Amino acid sequence: MVLKDVSITIKGGEICALIGENGAGKSTLMNILGGVHPMDSGEILISGRKVKFTTPAQSLGAGIAFIHQELNLINDLPIFENMFIGRERKDKWGRLDRTRMYQETEDIFRRMNIDLDPNTMVRDLDASYKQIVEICRAIMMDASVIIMDEPTTSLTEPEIERVFQMMRTLKEQGVGIVFISHKLGEVMEICQRYLVLRDGELVAEGRVEDVTTDDLARCMVGHALEIRASARTRNLGREVLRLEDFTHAQDFRNISLSVREGEILGVTGLLGDGRSALFQTVFGADKSISGRMFLHGAPLRIHSTEQALKLGIGYLPRNRKENGIIKDMNVLENASIVAWPLFAKRGVIDQDRHLELFCCQRKELDITMQDVSDAINTLSGGNQQKVVLAKWLAANPKLLILDNPTQGVDVGAKEEIYAIILKLSEKGMAIVVLSSEAQEIIRLCDRALVMYHGEIQGEVAGAAMTEHDIMRLATGGVLDAV
Amino acid sequence: MQYRGAMQKMQAGKGPKKKNVMKRLMEKRAADSHVGIALVLLLLVVLQTLVLGFDYDSFGHWFNSWFRNWINILRNNAGVGIVSLGMTFVIITGGIDLAVGSTLVATGAVIMTLIDTGAKGVLGAAGMTGVPAYAITIVAALALGYLLGTGIGLLITRGRIAPFIATLGAMKVFRSVTQHFMQGYNPRVPRDFLQISNLQVGGLMFMPIVYWAVIALILYFVSKRTTFGRQVIAVGSNERAAQLSGVNVNRVKTRTYSLMGILVAIASVVQVARIGSMDYANAGSGMEMDAIAAAVVGGTSMAGGRGTILGTVLGMLIIAVMNNLLNLFGVPPFLREAFKGLIVVMAVLLQRKQRA
Repeated sequence: MVLKDVSITIKGGEICALIGENGAGKSTLMNILGGVHPMDSGEILISGRKVKFTTPAQSLGAGIAFIHQELNLINDLPIFENMFIGRERKDKWGRLDRTRMYQETEDIFRRMNIDLDPNTMVRDLDASYKQIVEICRAIMMDASVIIMDEPTTSLTEPEIERVFQMMRTLKEQGVGIVFISHKLGEVMEICQRYLVLRDGELVAEGRVEDVTTDDLARCMVGHALEIRASARTRNLGREVLRLEDFTHAQDFRNISLSVREGEILGVTGLLGDGRSALFQTVFGADKSISGRMFLHGAPLRIHSTEQALKLGIGYLPRNRKENGIIKDMNVLENASIVAWPLFAKRGVIDQDRHLELFCCQRKELDITMQDVSDAINTLSGGNQQKVVLAKWLAANPKLLILDNPTQGVDVGAKEEIYAIILKLSEKGMAIVVLSSEAQEIIRLCDRALVMYHGEIQGEVAGAAMTEHDIMRLATGGVLDAV
Repeated sequence: MQYRGAMQKMQAGKGPKKKNVMKRLMEKRAADSHVGIALVLLLLVVLQTLVLGFDYDSFGHWFNSWFRNWINILRNNAGVGIVSLGMTFVIITGGIDLAVGSTLVATGAVIMTLIDTGAKGVLGAAGMTGVPAYAITIVAALALGYLLGTGIGLLITRGRIAPFIATLGAMKVFRSVTQHFMQGYNPRVPRDFLQISNLQVGGLMFMPIVYWAVIALILYFVSKRTTFGRQVIAVGSNERAAQLSGVNVNRVKTRTYSLMGILVAIASVVQVARIGSMDYANAGSGMEMDAIAAAVVGGTSMAGGRGTILGTVLGMLIIAVMNNLLNLFGVPPFLREAFKGLIVVMAVLLQRKQRA
């Protein structure tokens, strides 16, 4: 069960923030409202009238518009045609009535105080205007409630201000807005009310003026038992990786960090913090960056993942299905693909060695499976993840980057993966764990960097790490000086 | 993948549990082989045999003519057969190569120019004849094929041009340039060179078939056992995952086109040596489609990630027998292409059903 007994009210002429950690149930709740998912029990009332939807179209018809993060506009059509996709205005001959569509668009823009030419191609708009166009489309369909799912994550400061301006205009016109965001500063700025979800329950709600960002951060984490940092004796060796002023135009800026042998460094943050892009760049999967990178003290540039692999860097990607497994290959091949070039003799794969190695790994990682020649997707999520881990362990990297290592893995397998990571670190491997789960970071890491919109917002370390501190940094706050 | 080596080792003395693993591996390999395609081929061969008429009374005589017919079929298809092997790799990575026919005439032109016994012959003018001249010619042809293929590969990977477009362009350029430089020039191929394809053993000409078979065996090994061969599958199946596994995706893709170029050059040598001349305007046109058809009928997925050398050989044989059958049935030449088209579409439909 993702949601339990959640009752919320959205009033017209009000902007209401919906906040919560990743996996708290925000998306599920909004997807129910948006007609994407059905609910098991409960009811939705709009202006006191009971409604039921099973499709997004029905929900839209009832007046609820859901503005998704990935926008639903067609880049190669002008704005006014985008406004009428699927319900184009036609004249009596069935031809498109472009003049009418143009005028109606212009009317909406005037009503909303937006200075845009309806003839502009959507491709030429910046992200904020695209969002505005999408909101206008919702208004045109008489939406009374607009749900905005993290509308500001990919926007710059002036763009955010533009979207806020729009939201204020809507508010004045009596529209109810649900604003889903991780940025508590923005919540304070634009919202009147807040709702906090945690583990599928509504744990707090109230007026924004009565609370501080700190209170909100505490609500999001809850007062559940604090996870203690693992009190392990660390055996730190020499520095393995150091970054200085690592910068990529969109994704991350001015990143400086270092990792040593035997150390587990955590990197965390909320959606859109840029940590995956940062470490995929370290691994050579993306280029076009400025800044310096040092491996074992020597400056270098990594141009390809192949080079990174040979230098002893491993990267376990997030989103196993898209980035981790190769579905047309069997379990053994998925587990050995990384090490093929390392063990090969004149380009011929050393089959025996891979099989032997995997037989050991299978025992060590406790992978439950039938047969090494089975298709990879016959395995459970946790076991697939262990196979992806096994392929990197086969290459025996000096530096292992784990991006969401326990994504889509059940609790039992999670603990097993933690144990493996801790063991690797004891053997002297430098490990970087990227995770959005604060508990995971506290559980595993010796110290952790918290990222906020592509920059390192702060660092927490050792036994002093708390979920509160991490959440405060991840939402753009700062820690009190000690 | 092949596990035979490992299996022998395991059986030689390691635990019984591992032995079981290896046994199951072998069984699975047998199960996912190309039973369906092989059955279709068998059916067509039986049909063909029936049409040719089975003669119980003089079995020896009957078998002799049946066998000769088969040698003919295989020899006629060896060139496209060789090219289709390379096409398999290209298609598995999610690409396509439309330029093979034009690469064939371009390399063919180089062969003819080098080997010409007339006044303009390059090697002849340098006083080089016989086997050394042939060796140089062949090496030069392979080198050119490799260069052209690599060029296409780089255009696709570095230049980020869609394979269809890049090879469509190359197809036009290679053929037109070749035609321009070879117009009004009729080289003579030395008779000994023709032995490469026309050597007779026991009254049978089967050298092209031998080349095709040897290359197929080598590439079978390459696809199953080498880093390159397996990385091709990985790249075709999930390019991003392959890249994040340390695979140099661009290099793997480029190499498939380089390999394609070399194989086309070999096909070119075989063809020049078979007929002793080359029609630069028409030779190899439509070859790309036949090669693609063979790969697709053999189970290669145009979406990438799936395909085998064995499948492509079987696919080529199906198309070859089909051609022979249409001939035997007396189907008018213009209609034969229609049947070819139907086979390709049907093969894909059947495979889709099998998978579902």
